[in-house]
Amino acid sequence: MSRHSDDRLVAYLDGEVETAERREIEAWLDGDPVARDRLAALSRSAMLLREAYDEVVREPVPERLIAAARGAAPARVVAFGGRRAAMLGARRRWRVALPLAASLFGLLAGGGAAYLGVGKGLALGPGGTMAPAAIEAAAANNLWLDNAAGYFKLVVAGGDNALIDVPASGDSHEALQRISQSLTQQVRLPDLKPWGLNFRGARLVVVDGRPAAQLVYTTENKAIGPIALIVGSSKQPDIAPSFDRRQGVNMIYWRHQGRAYVLVGEADVGYLWGIGNDVAWQLDAI
Amino acid sequence: MSLRPRLAERAKERAAGEEASVSRFSDQLIAALPRLRRFARGLTGSTVEADDLVQAACERALARRHQFEEGTRFDSWMFRTVQTIWIDQIRARTVRKEESETGEARLGSDEAVRRVEARLALGEVRRAVDRLPPDQRAALLLVTVEGLSYREAAEVAQVPVGTIMSRLARARLALQAQLDAGAGVDRSKRDVEAQ
Repeated sequence: MSRHSDDRLVAYLDGEVETAERREIEAWLDGDPVARDRLAALSRSAMLLREAYDEVVREPVPERLIAAARGAAPARVVAFGGRRAAMLGARRRWRVALPLAASLFGLLAGGGAAYLGVGKGLALGPGGTMAPAAIEAAAANNLWLDNAAGYFKLVVAGGDNALIDVPASGDSHEALQRISQSLTQQVRLPDLKPWGLNFRGARLVVVDGRPAAQLVYTTENKAIGPIALIVGSSKQPDIAPSFDRRQGVNMIYWRHQGRAYVLVGEADVGYLWGIGNDVAWQLDAI
Repeated sequence: MSLRPRLAERAKERAAGEEASVSRFSDQLIAALPRLRRFARGLTGSTVEADDLVQAACERALARRHQFEEGTRFDSWMFRTVQTIWIDQIRARTVRKEESETGEARLGSDEAVRRVEARLALGEVRRAVDRLPPDQRAALLLVTVEGLSYREAAEVAQVPVGTIMSRLARARLALQAQLDAGAGVDRSKRDVEAQ
């Protein structure tokens, strides 16, 4: 096979040929098994190449690089952002994209007492409304993360009987639709099946003094355990993805364009980074 | 308000605006770091060298942030910065780098055998990339790993699209030949992920 034909195959594989040439190459491939084998081999080596470097984007970024990017002294924030890289070429896996409307607070008054014992300072008034002071207190970063850890532990402690407002039994699309009725923002459901995690259901929680959805994913792999993703709204400035550990659980949290995200789990930090990376990509959150 | 306080006020506003602009720039830079590290790892074949390269690129990018044109691809601009520094470095260097430390050298001794085997296959791919000439290696990483189009890769490398096409084809064929000559490329990374 000539160099020229190999060049054409490579460009074809990369989607860099015009329609007419593509048809020509496809006709050639139809009638030439050697060329087909060659194409398959090139395709396989390209896949191996991507795999060979894929793990780099899943590694935590060294602090010195974050510091260099900030033009400042080393910080403890560790960022990721390789979603586009990690998932390049992969299609987006939106499951649900729903407009959400009403208020959460009414619902909390009806059935939310269980949530409120978790977050420190999140106290309901007699009428079921949140005291402004409690909202203010909850807005503090520490409380935000403590709340997220607390909600996660509630899921773990509950095991199979964990409180789930909207179970994923049946149609997860429908589950999100139901929970979305109580929020004032769009909540989308990342597909974490490639990570071995199945969507179990959603709960309504209060994080950062605002209503939020806690999406719970479970797996039979005990080394990973359940994972929770809390998606809420926030008026605070964006922050880069960061790692923290509270109450014995790992968390990756970030804020982006008015949304706050916390990914919580007992899984290994590196694994959690990988999932966070994927979530950010899927939710277009960075 | 007299002129002096007004000027002071404007200077303060300008400083605040500048600070916000630097902060936004840094945010973009931080978001790009994982991909820059990956690109640099592919270029240098070494974790430490790659991070040194990315750090140098961050410093240069911050110093020259005004040269970045809003509305153009930030990642491409940074890839170009990384590649430019790397080319300067290899031109200045006469001694070829030591054997790459990527791949199995980073493995812990307690990892499962299947994981090691899978990594060896991927290590073989990385070594094959290390053996490519620098311009082909860069083209291969930009297009096949980072997913840039030929045109975008040409802009990064500042060469015509045809040059990228030809470098890429040579790189892909050389890689293919090296993998064909080697063994074990059939082992799948699924084993790695199944940990």
